[in-house]
Amino acid sequence: MADAAAAAPIAGDAPAGTTVLDSLGEDVTRIVYPVSACMLLVVLLVSLLSSPSSPSPLSASIAAATGAGAGSGGDDITTALITAVTFVVAVTAATFLLALLFYLRCTPCLRAYLGFSALAVLLVLGGQVALLLLSRLRFPLDAVSFALLLPNAAGALALAALAPASVPIALHQAALVAIAVLTAFWFTLLPEWTTWALLVAMAIYDLAAVLLPGGPLRVLLELAIERNEEIPALVYEARPVDPRHGRNWRLWREGRQPHEDSDAGSTVEVIGEVLGRNLHSDSPSQAHEAATFAGDVNNPRPRVISVATLSPSESTAPQVGEVPPALQEHRVAVAEMRVPLIQPRPERSGEEEEDEDGIGLSSSGAIKLGLGDFIFYSVLVGRAAMYDYMTVYACYLAIIAGLGITLLLLAFFRKALPALPVSITLGVVFYVLTRTLLEEFVVQCSTNLLMF
Amino acid sequence: METRVAGVPEDEESGLLPRPSAAGRRAASRGPRLQPPPASWATVDGPLGLPLEEAEGHARRFFLWGFACLPFLWAINCCYFWPVLRSPAASSPAPFASIRPYVVRSAIGFTIFSIVLITWATTFIVGGERLFGPSWNDLVMYNVAEKLGISGFMG
Repeated sequence: MADAAAAAPIAGDAPAGTTVLDSLGEDVTRIVYPVSACMLLVVLLVSLLSSPSSPSPLSASIAAATGAGAGSGGDDITTALITAVTFVVAVTAATFLLALLFYLRCTPCLRAYLGFSALAVLLVLGGQVALLLLSRLRFPLDAVSFALLLPNAAGALALAALAPASVPIALHQAALVAIAVLTAFWFTLLPEWTTWALLVAMAIYDLAAVLLPGGPLRVLLELAIERNEEIPALVYEARPVDPRHGRNWRLWREGRQPHEDSDAGSTVEVIGEVLGRNLHSDSPSQAHEAATFAGDVNNPRPRVISVATLSPSESTAPQVGEVPPALQEHRVAVAEMRVPLIQPRPERSGEEEEDEDGIGLSSSGAIKLGLGDFIFYSVLVGRAAMYDYMTVYACYLAIIAGLGITLLLLAFFRKALPALPVSITLGVVFYVLTRTLLEEFVVQCSTNLLMF
Repeated sequence: METRVAGVPEDEESGLLPRPSAAGRRAASRGPRLQPPPASWATVDGPLGLPLEEAEGHARRFFLWGFACLPFLWAINCCYFWPVLRSPAASSPAPFASIRPYVVRSAIGFTIFSIVLITWATTFIVGGERLFGPSWNDLVMYNVAEKLGISGFMG
């Protein structure tokens, strides 16, 4: 796989023998599957539910709000730009507010807000989508069952999204994908130019917010790293490739003496996965392996990030605490605050004892992708689906390619990166090219029976 | 692997290389003494799931909250503790015994709920107007939605 091959020399300082290539592909796959599933669901919903002829109430309200009623019902470039800029400004303000709250350590209000937001999305948007589906498909479900099932399902999924420790990992991931699908579908109801302007604006915002020194996301990340806490936000985390070591391993490890070959590189990931060399597994060979890695902290499972960044800080801290369980992560974030970035485990800044609250150490587990990325990828593909399936395929490939490039860059730079810009740029470029050039070509070929 | 010197108390090496535990050794005696990890995991996620000492409290909480008209919590309980449910009652490992009653009762509760719901929904769908008369139209969800005006997508 090109990704793995390219990433391997980059992460070459890892002593990893076969494990780098072994698990890197699987890591990438475990991130690509949910992104693809989210996009597929949004495309399905859009195909089933959208009627391009009737403007949605959302478009009408936007047109009314911006006061531009001329011509195409508010769907001109000026309106689009105004809406997009307004949205970006709102998101920036919200992110700064989030950073401020995080700085003031009022995590309960953040968590409460996130919980409320997740529940609102699932209940209101989910209910609306369900009603639309029922109406469109004329499925004769009765009101009593519906009233019983909807709050139940919404509550269960919200719980699954917020408290990953108490539900199966698959359900937690499914809940996050469900939230992303619903929000993305809602966004596709915007008028066309507005959607595209919004996507481009969000990509630029993401780039600025994560990479510029004053950007809100960067401030937030630095705060989180400095304090070794998790940002309460909706973040999708892929299941770790190596489930040998679990959180309970960590727990029973707590009372023990530090061994030189201990945890150095391991990290307990959000979902309580432990990466880990430090855990002595149940086989002698692994213990032996762990011993040989004593000096080298790098976890051979190359969560691309981890690798080299770990060694300097870790080698003197065999006692490094494991990251604590999950309970802090995966807080719901408001739609704008689903951190749209792809985040490696930041490196530990120093030695600490077992710290229940640490951010995932490097060499941690799986790749984390913010839910905002899921949403905007799906919005792009959903909007492409409103035109034709050809654009869907092209945009899907473009987004996956962009995601792969971002992962490569992640391996290279080893810090949190914005996941939106590359993919959105490629997606928009491919959409434009497909719609203007490829379609002509394919249609001409088909009508002349040259190629189908 | 471990050739222990006779007479060396177990504690000394209990932290080094965990051996697969007998079913008897349990989470209860944690603390400074390191127990090897349990031979079987209570949750469907295996090593990534809840540790055993938290599992019982969790199962009980979900079971009790399920009575608040949230039967899906029972379903989550069953799915999450699937290994506990599937292990035969006679030979299940010791720690499962405390979790098992809650999981089994959750399973029963969810089964009853789903049977009732499916029966009602199927009767409604299949019976249609023949069975219910004109009130069928008042109960069907899409009509209710249209009547309440919520079937259009809100802004």
